[in-house]
Amino acid sequence: MSKLAPMLPRQRPYSFALLFVALAAYLPLANFLISAESAFHLSLFGVNLIGQIVCFAMLALALDFVWGLVGILSLGHGVFFGIGGYVMGFYLLNAAYSETKVLPDFMLFMGWHDFPAALRIFEHLPAALGLGIAAAVAAAGVFGLTTFRARINGVYFSIITQALTYALMLLLFNNDLGLGGNNGLTGFTSIAGYRLAEVSTQVWLATASCIALAGAYLLLRAIADSSLGHTLVAVRDDEARLRFLGYRTDRIKLFTWCLSAAVAAVAGMLYVPQVGIINPTIVSPVLSVEIAVWVAIGGRGTLIGAVLGAILVNSLKFWLSAKAPSVWPFILAGITLLITLFLSNGLWSGATLLLRARKTSS
Amino acid sequence: MTGFWYRCVWAAVSIWIGAAAASAAPLTPPQRLALMQDFCAGGAAQRTAIDRLVSVGVADDHDWSARVMTALRNGGFVCRQSGSPVIIGSGVALDASTLQPVGEAPAELPYVPSIVMMRALAVASAELDLFSPKTETRRAAAAQVDRKFAALNPALVERALANEHDADIKRTLSVALAKRGLNSELPAERLKAIAAVAQVPSETSRTLLTNFLADHKDTLDPASVRATQAALRTIDEWLLIGKVCSVLFSGLSYAGILLCAALGLSIVFGLLGVINLAHGEFIMIGAYTTFVVERLMQAHLPGMFNAYIFVAIPVAFVVCAICGMLLEVCVIRFLYRRPLETLLATWAVSIALIKLVQITFGSQNVEFITPAFLNGGMQMFAGFFITWNRIFAIVLALGIFATAYGLIRHTRFGLLIRATTQRRDTARSLGVPAERIDRLAFGLGAGLAGLAGVVLTQITSVNPSMGTSFVVDAFMVVVLGGAGSLVGTAVSSLALGEINQVIEPLYGAVAAKVAVLVLIVLIIQRRPQGLFALKTRV
Repeated sequence: MSKLAPMLPRQRPYSFALLFVALAAYLPLANFLISAESAFHLSLFGVNLIGQIVCFAMLALALDFVWGLVGILSLGHGVFFGIGGYVMGFYLLNAAYSETKVLPDFMLFMGWHDFPAALRIFEHLPAALGLGIAAAVAAAGVFGLTTFRARINGVYFSIITQALTYALMLLLFNNDLGLGGNNGLTGFTSIAGYRLAEVSTQVWLATASCIALAGAYLLLRAIADSSLGHTLVAVRDDEARLRFLGYRTDRIKLFTWCLSAAVAAVAGMLYVPQVGIINPTIVSPVLSVEIAVWVAIGGRGTLIGAVLGAILVNSLKFWLSAKAPSVWPFILAGITLLITLFLSNGLWSGATLLLRARKTSS
Repeated sequence: MTGFWYRCVWAAVSIWIGAAAASAAPLTPPQRLALMQDFCAGGAAQRTAIDRLVSVGVADDHDWSARVMTALRNGGFVCRQSGSPVIIGSGVALDASTLQPVGEAPAELPYVPSIVMMRALAVASAELDLFSPKTETRRAAAAQVDRKFAALNPALVERALANEHDADIKRTLSVALAKRGLNSELPAERLKAIAAVAQVPSETSRTLLTNFLADHKDTLDPASVRATQAALRTIDEWLLIGKVCSVLFSGLSYAGILLCAALGLSIVFGLLGVINLAHGEFIMIGAYTTFVVERLMQAHLPGMFNAYIFVAIPVAFVVCAICGMLLEVCVIRFLYRRPLETLLATWAVSIALIKLVQITFGSQNVEFITPAFLNGGMQMFAGFFITWNRIFAIVLALGIFATAYGLIRHTRFGLLIRATTQRRDTARSLGVPAERIDRLAFGLGAGLAGLAGVVLTQITSVNPSMGTSFVVDAFMVVVLGGAGSLVGTAVSSLALGEINQVIEPLYGAVAAKVAVLVLIVLIIQRRPQGLFALKTRV
């Protein structure tokens, strides 16, 4: 394992969150107030796109917290994103049902005549939000407890998380589970009384995503800067030594892991109402590896890099997979290879190094 | 003493008689004529004449008998007031007893069988065909006899049964006989039939007995009921054994595929500590190489087409090994101390490869023509059917494992690989060219993946994303078996293959995957480096 910078780079660590607070303020303005002719106007599509990308950035942030700081590469963060997404899906199904009194298609196919009682516990939004986070943390806790106690590290851990993702995806593809099979959950109408088809609802959801990202960033940044954060970096750099010094490294890792899962779940919960569907592909192993790629491209261990990497790659992806769908995988592969080969700490570290070099020379 | 000689002479005579009976001596034309005149006489004699025609055909005069039978059924047989009957319909009229052409066409109308006679003739013709030298004819005839079981001639069918070698036809005939016996009025015959059905356990015979029991619940005597229930129990036992065997067999073949896929992964992981996420794509490249070889052979060497699978083995190995070494030279060697980044880099390579193949060959499944010798399989016994393609997978996997084992354990190259795996720095300082070993080992691992691809072409569908589904399982094998340990890879692929195939039919593929995952996580609690961890000091 290569040694990263012993401490986190400290350029503008907290003010970075302002960027997203500003974005959050700009989104309603750009859509409601600025006229459609202006270059600063954002259409519903643009707002929606930003909202989705911000959710992915939050997911990348969660992964960077465990990978960059503690050195645990998870190839299964899509699982927690998916758990959050599915729980939000349950809530939205409840909302849609109480409004229209029509069962979702997949339930009709299953031959059900009534909304299942098990899903009724997700009837209220706050309860659903809490349960989503709780479910993700519980899943992460069980998995983390077994693996960290067994001291499964490095690539072994990565492979097992990937297998976990694969198994969950297969499970969700199963129609008999009653979660919609490969069509997933869809047919949502409203969230907390606001209609999802309304432009304003989508704008506020995107705004909420930006604020959530800023909040998550500040929280994780504060932890990273505390003495706990230094312990985390120490676990990454020499876990055995820290263990000999008397730290319960498995507990430290478990804490980070669960916190990261919670952030990923929140991202998933914000993502689903914006795209209007959740299906098993969200927990496919491919997406989970991609998250790691966003972090690697942006620069791991910096939190900022992960967010920027996710935004960069996803913007490129939205742009290119519409323009030249067959070229996109090659470009993503090329970027990933170049970054891993020549700029192993990612673009953000490269940029900061460049800035520092210029400062010292001038 | 005289008794001994007497017995010897007796035995010799009986052998001679048997030989004479077996050698087919055609009937003389007058004998044939007599038979046909009996038929043309009509009435009850007609039925006995048909029976005689069949027995004659079965015993010594198959060709003639079949010829007359066909003519009878197709309305090509003309009885005449005087002289021999005539067979018409094939252009020129033939004398039915000598099969020589006759001068003029007969004035009489041809024989038209009644519906009852038509049925009797159909059974008779099928019975004749049961003794045909062609397996396909016999198979069709057996199916025909089975359909018309009420009209069959038990003595004849039993005789056919005794001569039959094909297990499938034998089973059909036994069931047909048994069906007839079950409907018999005589309790003794019913009991015999029930016992006979129990001898040939299968789903069909099970349904037969169950229906029999249900239909005759009230009229059946207690002895028959007991016998039927006992027979059903026997059949169920055999079916269970068959099911267990077929599950074990499919587990074995799946283990073979896993072994091929995981062997290369294990060598590379053990040696370099590198996880190659593009490993699945080497499997895919191996499969597509087989596809190209197949098409080339079809176009240029159609005579040798069936051998394409054997041509593909070395070709796929070499192609994949070259791809693997290229990957090592261009990417992996720069990342040796950074395993997690290797993971991402190889993932990038894998998505590029998938897209490349998608653009070149299309994203649909490619169609393979299975070589003739891998088509079909063999029924071992009830419910246990082995297919040649799976046998091929198992044999090839064993061959590949033996070769790899020999290579690693008994050659100089293998020695150097093991030395580098166990203590890289010491090996290097003793003059082992570690970089070259890395490259060659990576090529070897990729080549082995290519061989897995060749095997998979005969078992699953081949498409650009086929690798991703196998690579997760292959990783699990390596994690469980211990990186770099060939024996560990073999044992864990066997275990995972069997577990998968045992759980899958009962609870579905998902449960199988989840069970495997849980099992591995549990085992890793005790043995974090896998079951057969190597002692290394990297």
